[in-house]
Amino acid sequence: MSAGKESRIRTHARLRENVTSWLIMVPGLLLMLFFVWEPLFESVRMSLYKTRNVELVRFIGLDNFVSVVSKDDFMQALVNTFSYTFWSLLLGFGLPVLLAILINETTRGKGLFRTAVYLPNMLPGLAVIILWSAFFSGGKSGVLNILIGRLGIPPQSYLTRSEWVIPIIILIATWKGAGATALIYMAGMAGISPELYEAAAIDGATVRQRVFHILLPAVRKLAGTLLILQIISVFQIMYEPMVLTKGGPDNASLSLMQLMWQYAFGGSMNYGKASAVAVIVTLILLVMTAIYSFFNRRESDWE
Amino acid sequence: MNRMIQCVSLMLSLCLLLASAGGFAAAEGVVDGDLTCTITLGNWPPDTASAAEKALFEGYRDTMARQYPNVTLVPDYYSYTLSNYVPMAKGGTAPTIFQPPFTDPQLLISQHLVGDVTEALEKFGVLDKFSPSYVEMLADENGRIYGLPRDGYVLGMHLNLALFREAGLMTEDGLPMYPKTLQELAEYGQIIREKTGKAGLVFPASETYGGWLFTNIAWNFGCVGESALEYQDEDGRWVCNFTSPECVAAMEYMRDLRWKYDILNVDATTTDWAGAHSLLGTGEAAMNFAADDSVDQPTSNKGLPVEDFALIPFPAGPAGRYALAGGTCYMFAPDITADQAVAAMAYLKILGKLPFLDDDIIAGMRADYAAKRDRGAPVLPAISAWNDAEYNSAKQAIVDEYCNVDMRLYSDFFDSLSGGTISLKSEEPVFAQQLYRELTAVIQRVITREGADIVKALQKAQDSFQEYLDDEINDY
Repeated sequence: MSAGKESRIRTHARLRENVTSWLIMVPGLLLMLFFVWEPLFESVRMSLYKTRNVELVRFIGLDNFVSVVSKDDFMQALVNTFSYTFWSLLLGFGLPVLLAILINETTRGKGLFRTAVYLPNMLPGLAVIILWSAFFSGGKSGVLNILIGRLGIPPQSYLTRSEWVIPIIILIATWKGAGATALIYMAGMAGISPELYEAAAIDGATVRQRVFHILLPAVRKLAGTLLILQIISVFQIMYEPMVLTKGGPDNASLSLMQLMWQYAFGGSMNYGKASAVAVIVTLILLVMTAIYSFFNRRESDWE
Repeated sequence: MNRMIQCVSLMLSLCLLLASAGGFAAAEGVVDGDLTCTITLGNWPPDTASAAEKALFEGYRDTMARQYPNVTLVPDYYSYTLSNYVPMAKGGTAPTIFQPPFTDPQLLISQHLVGDVTEALEKFGVLDKFSPSYVEMLADENGRIYGLPRDGYVLGMHLNLALFREAGLMTEDGLPMYPKTLQELAEYGQIIREKTGKAGLVFPASETYGGWLFTNIAWNFGCVGESALEYQDEDGRWVCNFTSPECVAAMEYMRDLRWKYDILNVDATTTDWAGAHSLLGTGEAAMNFAADDSVDQPTSNKGLPVEDFALIPFPAGPAGRYALAGGTCYMFAPDITADQAVAAMAYLKILGKLPFLDDDIIAGMRADYAAKRDRGAPVLPAISAWNDAEYNSAKQAIVDEYCNVDMRLYSDFFDSLSGGTISLKSEEPVFAQQLYRELTAVIQRVITREGADIVKALQKAQDSFQEYLDDEINDY
């Protein structure tokens, strides 16, 4: 068989193989195109137009962006959103790792603890917020106030204090979501070779040494990925403040996504400005993801 | 503006007692019995609704099937919000009839998101009985009608009499010594808080609710006419006016309620409309700015016995006595056909929403009032949207049959409407929801920070809302 003919056969075979692959992907791509890319493109287009509800009236360039950014509530929402991210990393990034390590090191009832930490994640999001709103209610009937009342402390108001609302919302979000993240870490830890543990045990390694020299290095890459996912997720926080504090007091818990919602559905129906906020959020997240990818790649190169 | 206020006041008062225009007549014969079409009905009672409510609507459906056998009714659980309605209207899936609050009709009309039913109303001969104040809310600049009032309301105050009793604020006749002025409201609220430990006043200062209620307080401090919160200048441009001395004084009053008299509920900034009713109904607060159409909220919904509940007029301020007149309306899908519009009116007639009374309508009203009484909600006279004295008095007679309350606890409220001692006012004319949102933010600042600079906060809100007005209406 000539080299040319052999090459053609190989090309055909690869093509056949690729056609099958593409056919498998087509439904997914179509759905992606229809439900993700098209709305995304439409949103960018809408942000450049004066709109009347969802209709485009006239092209106005970057006017929507200028108008949105020049308002105080945008700056407040931007600062708040970064504040959400900061508190989320402070309260919520290490906790799942800690939970995963504790459960991983547990010898009895591992399944029970796994279920227990995941349980809040199974509750509907709104139910969780309503549950916690009763906990943080400022009256004498608020659960937390009843508890501190036993210690002789007078009732406090929690959700009306601008300096407390964001940490409280993040605390609630962490309570709900930490278990699911912990399970991912546990899956990562399950991939660690048992020989490593045995060797460490033979060498007399303590739990602390096992954690710092085997477990944490093993999940470091996973943690990096989860970090960026967490930032993306928290940056889009919306329903928690919307239900718990309605963005208040005095916009102290207003997030960028909530601001977007207000422009679109909060009475003004300004979809152009809402789209402008959405595009800004997307750009910020793209930049943050790019920064992460850059450092991640550089780290990989060093390794 | 004062003239308009007087007009609204006069018209609504006339609706209650004095109107003399025309009599009511059966509309039989105006609609072809062979009318054939399908209409979708939003706000159908969900499966979780009470058996009485479901039976009531099934009864309406049966009546419609009997009178118009070729009209197909499609029940829909759809409940209107601006955010969910717009995509449905644009996508052609909006129900034929839906029920927005009176804040939205003008926005929906200006955006061409609702259907014109003028011809259908003419066919039923009711166009000229429509109260002018409602025409103003539900028509475009050419007088075309796009909606029908479902029910009107006037803002007053709900009282929890159990707390008034505990605070020693009851007369020997068993009537509450209630606040007639905003100043008395602060003082009585303080007495209640000191004597009972509960909030004197529940003020829902979240989202748009705070601003919505505050406009009433502001009117009573003089934010009307030339000092209105928003007005049109000589060039026809809309101008926001939050920094007038009257508005500043009203906001200072809000500050005093929190920091001087300390009568507000503790979580005011997270309390919404339903939460406010809940706090009053469960005895956590003694007074709530609320209307006659929501008396079932603290009572039947939250368990406050009707004998512990009272409805009083909105307290007067230093510059007058104003209260909001608003309500909920029926509006129609933008693609409604002429036949569907007629069928929709026929259905609303069966519901008793047109000024006709026949056996079916009277039976429907009786069932409605009986259901209210059974679930422990006060049965009260409704504020009519029709200038039809005979119709209004006939309805009142049916209400009287089912009345389950001591009317002395409500008479001042209704007397203030019929006697003209209170001036009724519709909501701020343009982009009211956005205006409320801006004012709510100021209220939140003022009641959460003792040293808040009120003028600065109002100026900031004014700049923001002015930009909004310029963007959406002045420079459009």
